[in-house]
Amino acid sequence: MSLFNSIVPSLTRPLARRENGGADLGPTVKPYYEVKETDEAWGLAVYLPGVAKDGLEITAEESQLRIVGRRAWKQPEGWTALYRESTDAPFELVLAHDNAVDAGKIHAELTDGVLRASLPKAEAIKPRKIVVS
Amino acid sequence: MRIVRYTYPESRSLAPASGLSLRSPWAGLESEIDRFFESALSGSTGAPLDNRFNVDLYDGKDHTYVRAELPGVTRDDINVEMVEGYLTIQAARKQQTGDREESFSFSRSVSIPDEVQPDKVTAAYENGVLTVTLPKKEAVQPKKVSIAVK
Repeated sequence: MSLFNSIVPSLTRPLARRENGGADLGPTVKPYYEVKETDEAWGLAVYLPGVAKDGLEITAEESQLRIVGRRAWKQPEGWTALYRESTDAPFELVLAHDNAVDAGKIHAELTDGVLRASLPKAEAIKPRKIVVS
Repeated sequence: MRIVRYTYPESRSLAPASGLSLRSPWAGLESEIDRFFESALSGSTGAPLDNRFNVDLYDGKDHTYVRAELPGVTRDDINVEMVEGYLTIQAARKQQTGDREESFSFSRSVSIPDEVQPDKVTAAYENGVLTVTLPKKEAVQPKKVSIAVK
């Protein structure tokens, strides 16, 4: 058994290797998102129903963009849940971009539970013409 | 999940060139499978392309409540109808992509357990969530009559 485990080490590692941010969010849910690319930037739309502006956190680190959305609604006291499909878990989305995004120029807006962001491409990765002398 | 175009890892990470390598020869394959499972099993929610949205049903003392997750829809595009104990929510989302306009429509019917007063149903849309409040009929509460015994 240990011989087998040494050949395939992934069997002995913990199964779900989840990265949690600085604050411990507990279980999170990955929201639905779309990315569209143009020459200048990426357009990102993330669907975060139930998240208001103060529950939204966008962190742009060197190689990844992390979006955390906490739901604004709490179930009132007198309500009994008969049937639930949604969850109270916060949304978390991590997009790895390997320094392709210019973090200082990101524009984002949140309306009606949809986060729309424009992620301008970093100068280094934009196509450049090289002149041959 | 990556937004840059995916580049396959070079083969040399799977078979180290020098005899002694700090990285196990399986490390490249391992990380690829990890990535695959992470993206497949993380379970993304509320995929709008499916034309389905999450609906919750709650019961209160005098009201029944329905909450529907409908991000990115304008109020005018939401239709809520109440027919014979079924609440139908229809919504349309229009998106401008360049020259084209894409339109997605969703529709769901939920059966409402108790007797409700259909003309007093209200709905509010906030942060992408539609909350429908259905007041219950007052006849539901039984009247208690005390009888004196002679």
